[in-house]
Amino acid sequence: MVAGTARGRRQMTPAWMEGLNALCKCRHDFGKTGITWGLFLSPDVMVDAARRLFQAGFFLEDISALDSANGFVAVYHLSAYSGPDRLALYVIIPHNDPQIPSISAVYSGALWHEREAMDFFGIKFIGHPDPKPLLLPEDMTGHPLIKEAENRAPLKDLLDPGEIVERDPDFLFFEESNLPTEESKPEGQ
Amino acid sequence: MTEGDEQTLIINMGPQHPSTHGVLRVVLVLDGEYIVSATPVIGYLHRMHEKMAEIRTCVQYMPNMGRVDYLNPLGWNWAWVGALERLAGIEVPERAEFIRVITGELNRVSSHLVWFGAYILDLGAFTPIMYAFEDREKILDLLQPISGSRLTYSFFRPGGVATDVTDSFLKDTLVFVRYMRDRLPMYRDLVTDNIIFRKRCEGVGVLSLEMCRKYGATGPVIRGSNRPYDIRRAEPYSIYDRFDYEIPVDEKGDAMGRYRVRMAELAESLKIIEQAVNQIPEGDHIVKKAPKPRWKPPKGEVYFAVEGARGKIGVYLISNGDKHPYRVKLRSPGFSNLSLFGELAKGHLLQDAVSILGSLDLVIPEIDR
Repeated sequence: MVAGTARGRRQMTPAWMEGLNALCKCRHDFGKTGITWGLFLSPDVMVDAARRLFQAGFFLEDISALDSANGFVAVYHLSAYSGPDRLALYVIIPHNDPQIPSISAVYSGALWHEREAMDFFGIKFIGHPDPKPLLLPEDMTGHPLIKEAENRAPLKDLLDPGEIVERDPDFLFFEESNLPTEESKPEGQ
Repeated sequence: MTEGDEQTLIINMGPQHPSTHGVLRVVLVLDGEYIVSATPVIGYLHRMHEKMAEIRTCVQYMPNMGRVDYLNPLGWNWAWVGALERLAGIEVPERAEFIRVITGELNRVSSHLVWFGAYILDLGAFTPIMYAFEDREKILDLLQPISGSRLTYSFFRPGGVATDVTDSFLKDTLVFVRYMRDRLPMYRDLVTDNIIFRKRCEGVGVLSLEMCRKYGATGPVIRGSNRPYDIRRAEPYSIYDRFDYEIPVDEKGDAMGRYRVRMAELAESLKIIEQAVNQIPEGDHIVKKAPKPRWKPPKGEVYFAVEGARGKIGVYLISNGDKHPYRVKLRSPGFSNLSLFGELAKGHLLQDAVSILGSLDLVIPEIDR
């Protein structure tokens, strides 16, 4: 830990975070959540972000997803060999068109993790070289971890943003205002 | 020579192949005896543990953790209770932490012993597995009275462990540590220094650190490629910082390197067990207000990682305050370690594929979950 006042540390963001184009940067308490930084990204910057993080020395732990009332959230966990440090990259994608560019060209380990997320949630990873079912039978239809619409919880009840360091003005998931969920949106919007 | 060439032959290794330990299928494209491509096909033991988590309560999910990886159930026990404790901020009594370390390290030794025996068996030597199982049996006999089972332990509880250990358990554990320490030179003479064995392992499946990072390999696999990455040091949990032990590494990165790392870990685990048994304090084995089966955890997301016998075991838990978890993701080390096999096996002889698979220490139920 670099010595400095608490105030000085709070304003500091690590060098690798520059250029990631995060919509929202959240600082977590590692002791309480096991995560140091939570970054919300838009799907189109995902490959570039993966490339930058790979160069910064991070490795991919896993890719998971969750089903919320605001859409699917793909969660990428990255960690570094040097110490307790875990990034969670969140990509929010709509239920009706769940697509994310594949990062398997950067992190080969993503090849299987992405296929698993395809199995469980039906998320499509664009550019995946072998998008076959991994754990589920090839003739199976449906995705076991998708929730019924009434059981989906809004994102702000599921993820604790911790301390929001920087936020895109349009990123409103953790705002107090009741953000319309997909289901409550009027048709045609 | 490429795939689909008239000179190549496609063969199916598994799913019922003795060296695939469970039901793993590998589709191999061969040019003569050389591997052109290898594609693992998994999912034969898939049980959807992540879905089961959503229909059970947090405490009821404990027995599942004994069944994800049948060789290292206490590693998974630990990851799950660790996630719950981190989420709810539960303090674990000191004695419980010591019991966890002792039983967890005993379980690592028993897991490595099965790997050792089975790996040598894959390579064609029958005798060592008999020695390894004899020693493993002693660990099962130690853990059975306190945990109530011999294989699929669900011994840990959020806030502690299920039962206290007796003085006779601690005494027998020390006897076992001394016995096991005396056995290790015999293993070295019998197997490690054996020229036939070494010819099957040395220079086979050389794994670069770069490739480990691309695939997220952890545990003895990455330590065999000369990176001392161990969760017990990198993300300290429990009371591992109180003990004196080394993180063995090997610089070669071949199958022999991974073998050496695991054999060295046996001795290191024994060191930890001995220190823990000698330092264990009196006290409670579980907190007074330990969660009951219908306990509701607080809202939040949490990630907890431990060093299992095969590498980094991670539990990612999202709770919306209900007694059922909202979402659980299980990160199994074998999944990432096996995913690199296709790239690693390319250009090797068919017989070396068996050696490489064994050196990755696969437990298929853990990979399929």
